[in-house]
Amino acid sequence: MIGLPSENLLGTVFGVYLARAKDEEIRKRKVASGGAVTALLTYALEKGIVDGVVTAKRTKGFEGQAIVAHNKEELLETAGNKWSIVPFAARMKAKIEEEDLKRVALVCLPCQAQFFAQMRDFPLLETDFGERIKYIVSLFCMGTFAFEAFLNYLRMKYGIKAEQIKDIHLKKDFLEIVYNDTKLDLPIEEVYSYLQAGCLVCTDYTGTWSDISAGFVESEPGWTLLIARNPKAEELIKNAEKEGYLELREGSHLIGEVLKKAREKLARAQQNMMYLL
Amino acid sequence: MEKLKVLHVDIGGCEGCNVSILRALPNIQEFVDLDMKYLAKKTCAGDKYDIVIITGGVCMNEPHIIEKVKSLREKASTLVAFGSCATFGGILRFCRGGQEPRPDHRNFQPINSVVKVDYSIPGCPPTPQMVQSFFKFFIAGDERRLRLFKVCADIKKLSGFDLIDDIVLTGLCIGCGACELSCPTQAIKMIDKRPNLIAEKCIRCGTCYVRCPRASQLLCMGGRI
Repeated sequence: MIGLPSENLLGTVFGVYLARAKDEEIRKRKVASGGAVTALLTYALEKGIVDGVVTAKRTKGFEGQAIVAHNKEELLETAGNKWSIVPFAARMKAKIEEEDLKRVALVCLPCQAQFFAQMRDFPLLETDFGERIKYIVSLFCMGTFAFEAFLNYLRMKYGIKAEQIKDIHLKKDFLEIVYNDTKLDLPIEEVYSYLQAGCLVCTDYTGTWSDISAGFVESEPGWTLLIARNPKAEELIKNAEKEGYLELREGSHLIGEVLKKAREKLARAQQNMMYLL
Repeated sequence: MEKLKVLHVDIGGCEGCNVSILRALPNIQEFVDLDMKYLAKKTCAGDKYDIVIITGGVCMNEPHIIEKVKSLREKASTLVAFGSCATFGGILRFCRGGQEPRPDHRNFQPINSVVKVDYSIPGCPPTPQMVQSFFKFFIAGDERRLRLFKVCADIKKLSGFDLIDDIVLTGLCIGCGACELSCPTQAIKMIDKRPNLIAEKCIRCGTCYVRCPRASQLLCMGGRI
């Protein structure tokens, strides 16, 4: 347990690690960071700790679709940023019931993590399936795009069509858009207004309700920062290392960097709330 | 550890909440002494309870019910409104008179219209697991997890209508679909990634509102801590 008060911007922090997938294939396919989430969940699937991972797969442009991955191949297909929110909830329930999954891991954004964790901790409905949710992994999030409007902007100003876009990376203050083997660097400020208004008032950067938060920090490119929030999560990460799926380093010294981002998000939310509410 | 002394009183509802509490009994009796009219033998009785749970809405035309709620407040160190009727008025808000057993009554309010409530747990009805969870986090003193219910204790109405007004019409909806999944009457349908409300089906239980990640985050930020 590292020395943060329990009531802080990052929620309960049990352990902080820098992690990277040992598997070369995962690292090659990784988009945002070290592929640790993919490796960790591959471990959970292959050892039978969970029987499915519900995550999002990019279909076209920025659009994502909720799918259930049962093995490494299916997981690899979902790796990478989506940049839009995936209407997960109802579709997820249908998927879990169709396939009769008993223990699932979810990869989602902080808002979705909050919803699912609340459902698991406080089942208000008989139809809730909280007891089937074994791990909630939330990704660091600065907001998602209102992507129809954003794509429209790209088309109007730069002539980039949605189907040409291969990938998008966040690089410091730029969004790097990869399309037709060309790259375009867009300053964040230019596209800021295309974030969803709901994301502009969100105060949660890491997903304080999740079991494990994952994301990247700028000072350690090629590595994923994992925050374990309870002993169960810590055990999963440690065991994945033991079994040779993950490469782990201590990451507590980087918590300040995460906290800085979280503060930025909180400040942004408070500022926007004045205008929006 | 000494068991919590808990009293449950129903002041008029459909009995769904009571059944939920009864169903939770086997799993909570380890740490709770529950006094409830459905249990033939009183496990605890007295003038002071650690927790009093009230289910059902207050009929404002019945002075004796109002008095009863006030006297329950005095018995309770912690007062919990359990279920949507007690919390936000719920389906009782739609009473227009003409219903049995007292056909003229048409004004039901949540408990917090009459007395101060400490925790309000919506749900129509909340599940037995919810009862267990509440006691688990209450005993552990996990205020972070219980904050949402503490904040709800100060709110007199929440429903699908408020969700549309506060979150969707203000543009704050992020389209996650949590509300659609949470609605017990299927009054919410996602159309073009945003929720639409079928007004006739909404029973004002408030589940969608407290389940909406954006709404619950905003509630907790602005609420009493």
